[in-house]
Amino acid sequence: MFFHIPAELLAQIDEAITHYPVSRRSASLPLLHLWQEHFGFISDESIKWIAAKLELEPIHILELVTFYPMFRRVPAGKRHIRVCRTLSCQLAGSYALRDAVAQAAGIDLTKWQEDSAHHANPEHGNPVAVSADGKYSVEFVECLASCGSAPVAMVDDLFKENIDINEAASLLKLEKSDATLPKVLPPHARERRLVFKNIDVAGYTNDLACYLKHGGYAELKKALTMTPDAIVNEVKTSGLRGRGGAGFPCGVKWSFIKRGGPKPTYLICNADESEPGTFKDRYIVHQDPHQLIEGMVISCFAVDAKLAYIYIRGEFPEGARIVEKALAEARAKGFLGKNILGSGFDCEIYVHRGAGAYICGEETGLIESLEGKRAYPRIKPPYFPAVLGLYMCPTIVNNVETLCDVKHIIAMGGAEFAKIGKPNNTGTRILCVSGDVVKPGYYEVEVGSLTMGELIYDVCGGLKEGRTLKAVIPGGSSAKVLKAGETYKVKDKTLTLEDIPMDFDTIAACGSMAGSGGVIVMDDSRGMVECLNNINEFYAHESCGQCTPCREGALWMKKITERILDGGGTERDPDMLVKIGDNIAGKTICAFGEACSWPTQSFVAKFRDEFTAKSTKESPPPMPPEYTSEELIANEKIESIPAPRGNGHEVMAPAATR
Amino acid sequence: MSTATEVQMLNVQIDGVWLQFPKGTRVIEACKQAAKFIPHYCYHEKLTSPGNCRMCLVEMGMPKMTPDRKPVIGADGKPEIGWIPRPQISCAQDVAEGMGIRTSSPMVEECRKGVMEFLLINHPLDCPICDQAGECKLQEYSVEVGQGESRFLDHKVKKPKNVELGPRVTLDAERCILCTRCIRFMKEVAKDDCIGIVERGSYNSIACHPDKPLVSNYSLNTVDICPVGALTSTDFRFKMRVWFLKEAKTIDVNCGTGANITIGSRENVIYRITPRDNDDVNGCWLPDSHRLNFKYVGDERRLKAPMVKGEPVEWRTAIAIAAEMLKAHSTASTALIASARATNEELWLTRRLIDELEIDKQHDVIPRIGEPDGMLVAADRNPNTTGAKLLDLCTNRPGYRLKKIADGVRNGSIKALVCLGEDATKAGLTEDDLKKLDALIVMDILPNKTTAHATVLLPASAWCEKRGSMINVKGRLQRLNKAVNAPGQARDDWEILRDLIQAVSGSNGLYLIEDVFKQMAAKVKEFANLSLSKIGDLGVQLLDEKKEEEAAK
Repeated sequence: MFFHIPAELLAQIDEAITHYPVSRRSASLPLLHLWQEHFGFISDESIKWIAAKLELEPIHILELVTFYPMFRRVPAGKRHIRVCRTLSCQLAGSYALRDAVAQAAGIDLTKWQEDSAHHANPEHGNPVAVSADGKYSVEFVECLASCGSAPVAMVDDLFKENIDINEAASLLKLEKSDATLPKVLPPHARERRLVFKNIDVAGYTNDLACYLKHGGYAELKKALTMTPDAIVNEVKTSGLRGRGGAGFPCGVKWSFIKRGGPKPTYLICNADESEPGTFKDRYIVHQDPHQLIEGMVISCFAVDAKLAYIYIRGEFPEGARIVEKALAEARAKGFLGKNILGSGFDCEIYVHRGAGAYICGEETGLIESLEGKRAYPRIKPPYFPAVLGLYMCPTIVNNVETLCDVKHIIAMGGAEFAKIGKPNNTGTRILCVSGDVVKPGYYEVEVGSLTMGELIYDVCGGLKEGRTLKAVIPGGSSAKVLKAGETYKVKDKTLTLEDIPMDFDTIAACGSMAGSGGVIVMDDSRGMVECLNNINEFYAHESCGQCTPCREGALWMKKITERILDGGGTERDPDMLVKIGDNIAGKTICAFGEACSWPTQSFVAKFRDEFTAKSTKESPPPMPPEYTSEELIANEKIESIPAPRGNGHEVMAPAATR
Repeated sequence: MSTATEVQMLNVQIDGVWLQFPKGTRVIEACKQAAKFIPHYCYHEKLTSPGNCRMCLVEMGMPKMTPDRKPVIGADGKPEIGWIPRPQISCAQDVAEGMGIRTSSPMVEECRKGVMEFLLINHPLDCPICDQAGECKLQEYSVEVGQGESRFLDHKVKKPKNVELGPRVTLDAERCILCTRCIRFMKEVAKDDCIGIVERGSYNSIACHPDKPLVSNYSLNTVDICPVGALTSTDFRFKMRVWFLKEAKTIDVNCGTGANITIGSRENVIYRITPRDNDDVNGCWLPDSHRLNFKYVGDERRLKAPMVKGEPVEWRTAIAIAAEMLKAHSTASTALIASARATNEELWLTRRLIDELEIDKQHDVIPRIGEPDGMLVAADRNPNTTGAKLLDLCTNRPGYRLKKIADGVRNGSIKALVCLGEDATKAGLTEDDLKKLDALIVMDILPNKTTAHATVLLPASAWCEKRGSMINVKGRLQRLNKAVNAPGQARDDWEILRDLIQAVSGSNGLYLIEDVFKQMAAKVKEFANLSLSKIGDLGVQLLDEKKEEEAAK
């Protein structure tokens, strides 16, 4: 053993294991987090130690360390800066920000790139670039879920938003996080604040005392006097649809659970907010965690779950601590734990941190991850979570916002909730707007009460000066893009992009989806090939690699858009992109197949001219040999080093493609 | 005959034809039974279904329902099917009443083409030097359902090559299609969960932890079930193109399980042994220790010519001298050590020789007992102890009489010893003891301490050079088949024994091994009404399986 494990860490490890009474394997991710927080990285020795501790084979831990991007097998700098790379942040200049941070920290990105070029797959080398003195390191990471305040970064566990690229150096000395910083913006007149009632409100804090002062846990008390069936019925009556992206009716999902069966029921809160463009859950988790806990305990009571987990994305380390503190407070006051408020109902909730994998937002991938495995989504049938979920037991997975809505349904009654919004599109939605608008951010509105035009021009202050609207992604980056000037036939009406009401059904009828509510706006200065390439890079990075079409196709699409950007586009590339998308969508285990192909299919279909303009080569630029004959003769054991493409491969967007 | 729990039969429409299948049948298996083979990679009937390769996508539908949940009946009197718009995998679902399946629609064909293209874009396409070539599912389905052109213009993903996953298995991760069959086999069947997937997405690669390599005695089964050339047998790697291999169906002789195998040989050289499906014996698996134990067959030291006192002679001379020597000794001064590795036919002829020589209770076989592994390696390391018992070559305690024989040789009461395929020094005798004998008649394939002292040495055939039958520890009668020729003048054991009996007691009218079986079947009631051909490739249950298992304990 090359390491000393302090007693305090050991105690934390042993405590973490107790959170998973059914399977020690589930403690894999928590242990890796604790280990990396203490030692800075996961060494080969530690993999063996953790495996032994959890009575697993070492390969089981190695599988996780190489799957979850947040885990490192080599040390980072003493201060590690993660800059968000994904679309909204790129639109806000994240590539320049990354370069500026590197420069301020004395990190030689050119050298780092050269080192990567010697990696078998240059694009897949060590993502962490460390300064020569080891003090700092910088890493491009995928979506940090704060698109409305782009560009954003994390400095160790501290979160920083709205970063001025000219002040990049100040990140190195960051002391205070913005994660819980209330912006104190009054709600827009068109908003109706329900779930976000207390978000960014002056004087509102995330502790229990403040929550109770504002009437907290009253709905839990009320719910405990109701029968579970009555609660399920209220939720059904409310018409609440899941806010995670798929929009499945929540009450129907709950009614799949047969209470009192031989197996226990679990409830999992999906707080793995990770669809680019979406950043609503972050505010609930950081600023109003008790609202979530109350909603969860009510929901647990309704589906008879005595053990629940909050699967929170790894990039919310402060959020995890805040929720853990809130859980402890709730436990101390009898809102959680044994015999809640004297009702005889027992319920325990634990926080489980993810580690940077988007696919954990898919509910069966999340369940696998919670079981301590690679987040490979399960086949359905037979593994419907309501029947064969966590540990093969009935399991309900709900989004943060959905669970918060439950509290309000209990407060006002399902019928009253159903009056908000429109039939089949009830309640409020938190729309997350990012990209090229004057006032990006979240806006909680009645579902369908706003049109896209009103959202962009009235609520968000329109586009930046002198700019016109070019495209909108209406429901997170996987939703099909909508083009300015398009019209849509919906029932007997013809709608323009601006006319589309922000509800579930009309957006679907226009060929896209409301998804998770993340609206990304692009103005006329944006190149659509660049935007698509950014999205493709995200999905190529996030494909779990389980199913053939998505594993191979997602990276293929990214390689093509990158080649087009680099000037190597061929005449058939636009068609090829669409065909690849067609061959992925609908052919995979989970909806990631659609998520990664819809952007490509829609961008190429709607902005074909931009793609063809850049795809003019009759044949692809010649592929350089992987090694020259001299190299082969000189070195029998030559490593595979693909050389960069030459000839006709002038780099057009240097920062955006490396 | 009706069973207590009648299996429900379900009506399923496959490519327009309504058929019936028992409840619990996988869709992919139902299609196979209907002669509609569905290409697949990750699905393996002995393993769980992960549904990850997406090759077995088909169109699926369920009966349309009226508002009161009754199936809508079409003009043909059959339920109308509401087709699911998305393709569905056929490997993970069981058939259901009224289900419709289309295995060859334009949508299905597009799906297969698409998956094939995806599987090949990052594949090295090194078929010319790939050991799997010729039996590779990528090649097969490329021809059947793939497309002829490559549309991939970019650099392929690089992955580890020539990786020693364990002492016997080599991995080429670039060829791997990540079907996870090997992972599931090690976890679910071999119970040694040592293979996993590292990295993510397109860079995914199977691996073992360096401290926990693939050492299982079943590791080579991962090579068998690998549908592509990713996992190769380190022993067989680059040795022979598989299409040159002549295949012989036979059984393994390394223990009493009698696993069914296929021997692959070319021009009289064995290159590999692979398991052959038999659900009553070994499923489709085989221990590494067994499949790799064939090199001795091609050993240069193989006995190739009959010898008398160390001098090569003609066969007829050797047989005549052996017969003379045996006839010259009284029954009380003659002993015989037979082998529980011999076939029933050889043991039957041995029994006849014993009777002709009137050797009384001075014969036995040499037992071999090891640790059973709870799977396919039986405690009894002889393949035909059951046959030896049945044909009275030993008592119910094989080896019980060996001490008496050894004592007899030592005290001079036994002057002639016949060793058939066994080394007497493994039966409690020393080389000095053997020197005391007047006659030591030895039949074997390789030199050993006994052959060194043989007065007459008769070179015989190895198990893979001959035909015959054996009975495994569970009482199943199975057939050996010839894969290669015996070297030099070495002859089939049964022929040597026949000639010896003939020389001792006159003509016996046996010309073919079938005749031997026929004769045995006429005398031994267990073999009644059987013949070598009736045994078939999968064998027949000869004795009560439970009784044999009890007896073995």
